[in-house]
Amino acid sequence: MTGVQQEHTSLPLLQVRHLCKFFGRQLGCHDINFAVSPGEVIGVVGESGSGKSTLLNCIAGRIKPSNGSVLFSSSKGIIDLCRCEEALMRKIIRTQTGYVTQNPARSLKMHISAGGNIGEKLMAAGMRHYGEIRKTALMWLEKVEIDPCRIDDLPATFSGGMQQRLQIAANLVNAPRIMLMDEPTSGLDVSVQARLIDVLRKLVSGLHLSMILVTHDLAVARLLCHRLYVMKQGEIVESGLSDQILDDPRQPYTQLLVSSVLKP
Amino acid sequence: MALRWILKLENIEKDFLFHLQQGTRIVVFERFSHRFFPGRTTILTGPSGTGKSTLLRMIYGTYTTGGGHIWVRHRNRTVDISAAEPAMIYALRRDTIGYVSQFLRVIPRVSALDTVIEPLLARNMDLEKARKKGRALLERLNIPSTMWHLSATTFSGGEQQRINLARGFIAPFPVLLLDEPTASLDLKNRQIVIDLIKEALADNTCVIGVFHDPADHKDFADHTIDLSLMLNQEVMQPCTKKN
Repeated sequence: MTGVQQEHTSLPLLQVRHLCKFFGRQLGCHDINFAVSPGEVIGVVGESGSGKSTLLNCIAGRIKPSNGSVLFSSSKGIIDLCRCEEALMRKIIRTQTGYVTQNPARSLKMHISAGGNIGEKLMAAGMRHYGEIRKTALMWLEKVEIDPCRIDDLPATFSGGMQQRLQIAANLVNAPRIMLMDEPTSGLDVSVQARLIDVLRKLVSGLHLSMILVTHDLAVARLLCHRLYVMKQGEIVESGLSDQILDDPRQPYTQLLVSSVLKP
Repeated sequence: MALRWILKLENIEKDFLFHLQQGTRIVVFERFSHRFFPGRTTILTGPSGTGKSTLLRMIYGTYTTGGGHIWVRHRNRTVDISAAEPAMIYALRRDTIGYVSQFLRVIPRVSALDTVIEPLLARNMDLEKARKKGRALLERLNIPSTMWHLSATTFSGGEQQRINLARGFIAPFPVLLLDEPTASLDLKNRQIVIDLIKEALADNTCVIGVFHDPADHKDFADHTIDLSLMLNQEVMQPCTKKN
């Protein structure tokens, strides 16, 4: 993996401290601690129900954590997204982060055109010139390898892989500093997955973007992530460099996870 | 004046504990120390399972170190790999330690040429300049130019290994780790790789390698470490100790 330029532990872009989430008496995640540096790609792996998505949703401001903090280094200093005013939190989430879900239909507006889905984000960020918006939308379609002549088509007419790439484009137009991704490659055909992964690799290294990637696909995690966190029953059981976790797992659960994968 | 070491293993320890296999514990290194010098080759020998690849992976940071220190000179500083932060490991892998594994990890849809030049781009070299260097090296390693723009997924074992080698030799590294680099190569390509290694040595690179072919040993071994003599390998099972 390439892209992270810092040698010294520079100021992290995002820090999660003692994050907990309970749904009533049900544990979502418990005492989660980690930091993400600028340009760093972090993977969160673990079985279904281990709290990976809950953690991501807490960071994205979609779920209010029961306890702990999410510290974001913004231009105005470090802001705790769990304790600051709602409006400020919303603004930081909107302008500095992107959120890509497993199911693009949940995030895209299916009744407006592909270009409209991208343009809407640009207008929300203040762009008003129609020609500029269209030009930017065309450029982004090309970057995520969607034929620009499909700009006026509805996303409903797109394949799953195209919808997923459109969702990524719509999230990247406003140049966020960190992308939060929840199983972006699941549910896609493997050849389509390879293309999506390739697009992501190029975007991440080209834009010096940070990313938190929730996935249960260890091959995807190895390819995209600098570091991995392994979650089980709401807690982080092991963390380290991606190759360390996958090639020299120390914890029983990580060993089980790694040894359970079929190698084609 | 004695030559200054570039890499120093100090009482390193390594074991593997397999929780899923009745807690079998395999001890690979127990207080093992050694020094490595610039412009010298060290060949690791010993039967399979004595820890040759393990040692390379510990130096590269892929395997954690159970105890002791792995010191390396990195940009006029001395860094302990076994205790380095991730950001430091990224920097070490970008600038100081190169590693050619036994098998290429092919990335679908990325061309052979772009796979090779990745280490140069990581050092911010201009794309065209990097590609020019990459083409020259691929040509030297006898990869036909018609294949450069293809992903290495469909390449033969020997071709993939040469792509892997090209990746390792494209950018100069003060420490170069080679895990059976000549294993799947024919005689002609084997000689080219040996020439590349000799050039790296002349460039003051510290080469640490696992070579199975005794002919390679004769070609350039300043040092040979026979790990089967050096290490007391023991398997204890089952083990109840928690790590």
